[in-house]
Amino acid sequence: MKMNKLKAVVMMFLLVGLVTIMVACGGNEDSNANVNNGADNSADPETNEANNGDSGENNSAAGDEEDVTIRVAWWGGQERHDMTIQAIELFEAEYPNITVEPEYTSWDGYWERLSTQAAGNNLPDIINMDNSKLMEYSSRDLLVDLQPLIDDGHINMDDVEDVYQDINVAEDGTVMGISLGANALGIAENKDLLAEHDINLEPGYTYDDMIDAMHKIQDNTDEEFFGFDFGNSEFEMFFVYARQHGQSVFNPEGDGLGFEEGTLVEFFDMVQTMVNEEAAASHDIMMDYIDGGNSMLGEGKAAMNMTASNQIIGIQQSSDMEIGLNVMPSIEGGEDGNWIRPSMSFSISSHSEQHEASAKFIDFFTNNLEVNEILQADRGVPVSSVVREHLAGIVDGATAETFAYLELVEDYTSPADPLSPAGESEVRGSFQRVVETLKYDQATPEEATQQFMQEAQAILQ
Amino acid sequence: MAKADNEVRINQAPPPDREILRMEKKKALKESLTGYAIISPWLLGFFVLVLGPILASFYLSFTDYDLLSSPTWIGFDNYVQILTNDPRFKTSIIATLVFVFVSTPLKLLFALALAVLFNTGRKGTGFFTTIYYIPSIIGGSVAIAVVWRQLFGRNGAVNDILDSLGIAGLNWIGNPDTALSVLIILVIWQFGSPMIIFLAGLRQIPTELYEAASVDGAGRIQTFLKITLPMLTPVIFFNLIMQTIGGFMLFTQAYLITQGGPMDSTLFYALYLYEMAFEYLRMGYASAMAWILLVLIAIITIIIFKTSSRWVFYESEGGR
Repeated sequence: MKMNKLKAVVMMFLLVGLVTIMVACGGNEDSNANVNNGADNSADPETNEANNGDSGENNSAAGDEEDVTIRVAWWGGQERHDMTIQAIELFEAEYPNITVEPEYTSWDGYWERLSTQAAGNNLPDIINMDNSKLMEYSSRDLLVDLQPLIDDGHINMDDVEDVYQDINVAEDGTVMGISLGANALGIAENKDLLAEHDINLEPGYTYDDMIDAMHKIQDNTDEEFFGFDFGNSEFEMFFVYARQHGQSVFNPEGDGLGFEEGTLVEFFDMVQTMVNEEAAASHDIMMDYIDGGNSMLGEGKAAMNMTASNQIIGIQQSSDMEIGLNVMPSIEGGEDGNWIRPSMSFSISSHSEQHEASAKFIDFFTNNLEVNEILQADRGVPVSSVVREHLAGIVDGATAETFAYLELVEDYTSPADPLSPAGESEVRGSFQRVVETLKYDQATPEEATQQFMQEAQAILQ
Repeated sequence: MAKADNEVRINQAPPPDREILRMEKKKALKESLTGYAIISPWLLGFFVLVLGPILASFYLSFTDYDLLSSPTWIGFDNYVQILTNDPRFKTSIIATLVFVFVSTPLKLLFALALAVLFNTGRKGTGFFTTIYYIPSIIGGSVAIAVVWRQLFGRNGAVNDILDSLGIAGLNWIGNPDTALSVLIILVIWQFGSPMIIFLAGLRQIPTELYEAASVDGAGRIQTFLKITLPMLTPVIFFNLIMQTIGGFMLFTQAYLITQGGPMDSTLFYALYLYEMAFEYLRMGYASAMAWILLVLIAIITIIIFKTSSRWVFYESEGGR
């Protein structure tokens, strides 16, 4: 009797062990399938509910189509998460047979999460891409060519001008993503502070004009004032600076650098001098604000801030001073360095099995007026001219400012550089480290230039 | 063998010793099988979740692997590159060694001092032991790291206190000269777990030694140096090893508070490894770094072990 009991226990444990082994060793696809099935099942009640609720109006959209689930990944702050989730709810109401599972994080963890998912063959159906990563993902066949989905009408691109979409199209005509909105680099300025000190920097002003303005405020204020806020975007700033010199950060082939040594020395010298002469915030103060999630500009501790145009929407929300946008400083006799950046896009991953449903989702974001009212142009000015005109009449405040800015900046742009090569993030890391040593006065501009160029070339080779 | 066995059984009718032995053996086998069956979930976890990744990382350390495409074999390139041509590897090693060799002794000193204080058995020591243990329970957590960043930030409490004393504060975390100390202070502050172990060690010391000493007229300092400290050396040894290894692997606090900056002054090894692996997707390189760290920790542990015969006192070995 006792023996039997023991036997039973042993058998049970062996069985449990065996089953676990079998599950664990099962192929990747199997376990994925399990996950997907599970997701489908759990989502069913919700979908049915939606079906019942909208039975009257939306029959045409629902039809007899099979229920599908798509996963959508994006990065952002809480504001963007809230707006995007609201937009997804609208989409689900419109297409009751499609359930959308959102996967969102902040920028910091976003790419780490995606790359692990990529390694596990488990990327979300729709990925919010950034221009700087597009090449990396596309060159590894992780993105689906969207041209066929455009051709068969699932994504309507009739109202989207080429200028917004060109950057997402590879040389061979592959469409890697659909732009989510346009922005441009620019200078956010604290209008109240500048007006108080009687400073008026008309577009076309130079870097020297900007530095003089910072000194003027610094000399005439009793308040704590840091001057210019680089916003940890010195790399972007140099992108424009190099282009203003008729050069570029990367060479067209993407296997080396595309600027002259002297250009970078000049730029580094400017950065270092600005910090040393207190025309710009020191590195530790800048990082203190960024880590704390605060804005120097919004608090009136800085007068100008290197940024991307869509970001002033966030700055304005946390400030009771008036924030505006100005073009980047120019170089006398230099070229136009800025460019319109449709910097974010939606791509469909090659791990997706729901291309059509995903395409519908992208189309919805691109062309639906109601959903764009919810999204408030937070990812940039909408790329569809119909949506843009519709929104232009409605939006106000900082969002309206970004719309106006994109029209203004057009006169200061030249054609965009090709997409950054795959090693871009490492090159950027190297640049930022070198800038740090400069701002802490631990290297001369010449030394810093040498170090960066050496490191970058080694990375890009 | 089996044939001989059979013959023996046929020839001798009553069950001989050998038969009993066989039964015993069978029973033993059954028992150990049962044992394995019972721990099979854990074993499985070990093989799949621990041993598997360890072997995989060993293989990957000889490859160029970016997670997105499949690994390509490059032999010892990663190791050569790390050891001969990576200035940030050196930076990170130095930062880590400084951190470990400053923070570990200080942490143990604090832990020992408080353990001795709490070993008096006075009223309320239990309460204080608990209070002082709390930092090491919550210390690794994200919340404490964020609090630390606030405390030592530009407008943090530390600067406020200094300000009220008339001393100009500075941005502790943003300054390359002080950032490392901020992390060292945080880690020292988490002395709770070595303290508890010291307390347990102190209670193991036979009271008759102290009685004998007091009869001989030894003072408190003499008692501490001649009895407490020698009797405690095995526990100090244990704590030293554990804290040293822990120090080498410090990640969470540094990642959350300084992210390796400013100017790589707090670029601990684990941080650099993480950066390579997950920010730049150089998994092969990072795997090779992980194996180098393993070797480094092993060497330092061996050195500590080797020296232990000179200073660790085991009662059971008659004093040596």
